[in-house]
Amino acid sequence: MADTKYLKRLFQAYYQEKQSDLPEVSNFNLREFGLIPWEKKVFMKRHMSFDNLDVLGNYLIADPPRHLYSSGSLYLQPDASNMNSKEYQGCDFIIDIDVDHFYTPCKDEHDLWTCKDCGEEGTGMPKRCPKCSGSKFTKVSWVCDQCLDVAKNEITKLIFNFLTPDFGIDEKNLKIAFSGHRGYHLKIEGEDLRKLSSEERREIVDYVTGKNINFEILGLNEKASTIYGLLKDNIGWSQKIMEKIEKLLRKPTNQIESLLLDKNHFGFNSNVVTSFINYKNDFLKLITKGERNVWAIEGFGITNWKKFLRGIVQQVGVEIDEPVSIDIHRLIRYPGSLHGKTGFKVQEIKLNELAAFNPLDESNEKLDPIVFKSKNKMKLEIIENKLPLTKIKGESFGPYVKGEIIEVPHHIAVFLLCKEVAKTI
Amino acid sequence: MSIPIDLVNRYPWLPSLKLFYPDLGDKTPSEFISDIFSKSDSKQISDRVLLIFESAFNNLEGIPDSKNENLSIDVYLLLNILIYALNNKLITNRIANLYSKNAYSKMERDNSESDLYDICKDLELRVNFYDPPIQFGSKILKTNREKLETNFSINFIDYLKLASNLRDEYRKLAHNAVQNGYVYLQNRNLIRLIQEYVRNKILIKETENKVSLNSFLDNAFKIQEFKELYEKIHIIWTKRKEDFEFTFKFDNTGKTDIMKLFPPCVLEILKKAKEGQNLVHHERLFIVWFLLALDYPVEKVVDVFSTLPDFDRDKTNYQVEYAKKKKYTPYQCSTLQSIGLCMKEKYKDKLCLEGYGKALEKKKLKHPLFYVQTKQYRDAKEEKVLKNKAKKELEESQKQNG
Repeated sequence: MADTKYLKRLFQAYYQEKQSDLPEVSNFNLREFGLIPWEKKVFMKRHMSFDNLDVLGNYLIADPPRHLYSSGSLYLQPDASNMNSKEYQGCDFIIDIDVDHFYTPCKDEHDLWTCKDCGEEGTGMPKRCPKCSGSKFTKVSWVCDQCLDVAKNEITKLIFNFLTPDFGIDEKNLKIAFSGHRGYHLKIEGEDLRKLSSEERREIVDYVTGKNINFEILGLNEKASTIYGLLKDNIGWSQKIMEKIEKLLRKPTNQIESLLLDKNHFGFNSNVVTSFINYKNDFLKLITKGERNVWAIEGFGITNWKKFLRGIVQQVGVEIDEPVSIDIHRLIRYPGSLHGKTGFKVQEIKLNELAAFNPLDESNEKLDPIVFKSKNKMKLEIIENKLPLTKIKGESFGPYVKGEIIEVPHHIAVFLLCKEVAKTI
Repeated sequence: MSIPIDLVNRYPWLPSLKLFYPDLGDKTPSEFISDIFSKSDSKQISDRVLLIFESAFNNLEGIPDSKNENLSIDVYLLLNILIYALNNKLITNRIANLYSKNAYSKMERDNSESDLYDICKDLELRVNFYDPPIQFGSKILKTNREKLETNFSINFIDYLKLASNLRDEYRKLAHNAVQNGYVYLQNRNLIRLIQEYVRNKILIKETENKVSLNSFLDNAFKIQEFKELYEKIHIIWTKRKEDFEFTFKFDNTGKTDIMKLFPPCVLEILKKAKEGQNLVHHERLFIVWFLLALDYPVEKVVDVFSTLPDFDRDKTNYQVEYAKKKKYTPYQCSTLQSIGLCMKEKYKDKLCLEGYGKALEKKKLKHPLFYVQTKQYRDAKEEKVLKNKAKKELEESQKQNG
C-alpha cells in the first residue's frame, strides 16, 4: 500500500512537471477517456470526457491514474454512459503490436511461468504445462531490447510493406507510439478510414496479417498431378509471397534447412527438407524467370506446398492484436501518459525517428520513455519467486530471487515496483 | 462533374437524376403519382412496373427487355414508391435483387468503359481510368501466358464499402491486386460492385410509422390507376407468398426451441433468408450442411430457401438431397471466419467470444455444431437443477404437511 502511494505521488509529480508537454490528440473533446486508478479492486473507469488538454492535465495532477486511455472513436457525447447514447461519429484505425501475443525467442530467457496445478516452473510461453498439461499459470512477463526490436520490426514491416505501398497511407496520418511496455501502437487518422465498419476493418486486418488467405485463389492448384504455383507479377499477396520465397532460396543452405525444420516457422520433417534443398536451385531459376509456374519438387504434394506457403505468409504478414483493430469502441493508451506496469512513458515517435528509437536506452532526451531515471539508489526486497535479468539504460540488474535485498537506481526501482515484484524497505 | 443526360435516362438510380430533374424533389409522392398517371404513356409505365413485380415474384433472373428507355426514370421512381407503399421486407428484397441484377446486365451489355467511368464518378467512387488498359498480373495456362489487364482501379475504402457484404472469397481484399490505395479490378467486377450499390439503394427499411404510411396510401389511392396497380401487385403477392414465407420451427426433441441453440452464424443466415435477402454461395452450402448434420428433414431445409429471389423448389430439392447423400460436414469456425460468415462480433455472442468451460480454463469453440451441443448440455443441466429444486421443494412441503 505504501508503495502504491509512493508511485501515485511519483506519477503526480510527473504530470505536474510535464503538464505542458502532454500532447493533444486530434478531436480531443470528442474522445471518450478511461482510466485505471491505483486503488486495488477498482476496475476501469470509462465514459469520461475532457473539454480540453488543460482540464485533463489538472485532473491528472489532482488524481493521477495508474493507466490513462482515450478512444480511437469520436463521439458527440463521449461521456454518455452507454454506447448507444454516445452518438458515434467514426473511429480511427488502430493497430496494436504487442509481443505478449506472439512468440519471440527471448521469451525463453525472460518470461517465467509457474503451473498453478503442479507447481512446475519454466520459461517461454507454453499453452499447457509440459508436466501436467494444466493451462493455469502464474506468469512474470518481462521486457528486453530483443523483444522490443521484434515489435519495432513488425511495425516497420506494417508501414513500409503494407500501409504505404498497398494502401497509400500518407505519413502525416500515422501516429506512432511506444506503448510503455512491450510494443507499439499505431493510429491511422483520416475521415475515410473513420467510416469503416468492423467487418470492413476485418478485411484490412486479414490483408496485413495474411490470415485466411486462400492459396487456390492466388493461383496454386493441381491439375492432372501437376502443381501450378503463384506468379510474382500478380500485384498483391502473390507478389509478396514470391519475393519472400526468392529471398529464402538465396539464403545459405544451412539457414534454409533450419528454417524449414523449425516448428515455429515451417515445421517440415527432415526428408521433406532434404528434398527441398536438392531442388532449391531449380526452383529459384523457375521463379526468377517467371515463364512457367509448374512447381515440381519431389515429396511436395499440394498439402506440403500449402504448408510451405503458410510458413512464407507467416513471415510476410504482420503480427497484430486483431481484436483491437476490429473493435470500434476500444480505448488506447494516451500518448505522454505513464504505463502503470512499468513507469515508462507512452512515447509518441515520428516515422523518421522510428528506426533509431531504442526505448530501453534512448539517447534523445525528448523521446526517452524512461522518465524516472536517476543515479540515486533505492533499497528494495524482491517478493516474486524469481526475476529475470533486467537491462535498462545499458546496465544489467538481476536475475533475482525472492527475499533478496537489492539496491538499484531509481528508474529500475520504479520499474520493479510498478511490476509488483518488489517492495520498498 | 456532369454526366450525359442519356446516362441518367438509362440508369435512373444515378445521383445525377436530381440534377437533371430538379423538380422531382419538390413534388410529394402523391403529386408525382398523379403526374405519371396523367401522362400519355402511363399505361406502358404501369405495365412495366407490374412486369418487374411479376418477374421478381416468379424468381426470374432478369426483367424481360423493354425497348423504351425513356420510361425508365418514371418506372424506377414508381417502383420505389410502390416498395414504400407495400412496406414488406420480402418484396423489397426481391425487387432490389432483381432490379440490381438487371442493372448489372444492362451495364455489361452496354460494354462502354467511358460510361462506366461516368457512372463511378457520379456515384462519387474514386476510380482511376486507364486507356490503354493497365496490366496488374498474369495467368499461365500450360505454356500460354495471359495478361490480366483492366481499365479501372478503385480506392480501397470505396471497394470495401461495396464489397464487404458480398462475402465472396474472390472479393476478399487479400485476394486482390492492391497498390497505392487502389484495387485493380476487371470491368465486370467493377460492374458487380455497382450492382451492389443499386441493390442497397433500393433496400429501404420497412417503415414503422403506420400512421404516415396509411395517410400516404389514403392520398395515393385517390388516383384510381395507382390503386389498381397496387392491388394487382398485392393480389399476385398474396397468391405467391405462401411459397416464400417459411416458419423455422424445427423441433427434433419436442422440448426445446431449437433456434435458441443455434450459433450466430446460422441465425444470421436464417434471418437473411427469412427477409428474402439473397444468400451467397458459401451461406447456402453452410446452412444446408449444418441443418442436415442436425438431421433436419430435406423438405424443411428446402423451405429455408423458399424466400430467396432465385428459388426453384425442384432444383433446391435435388441439391439438398445430393448434399445429404454426400454427408458433407459444415464449415468449422476458422473457415467461417475466413469467408466472413462468423458473426460472433456482430451478435456479441458470449459462448463464441469467450469459449466454454470453467472461468480460468475457457476453451475456444472450433465448430458451430459444437455450439449446439454445448447449448444443449447447458440447457439439460439447467433443467436438471430446476427439476431437483422442484423435487426438493415438493419433498419439503410434503414433510411440513405431515
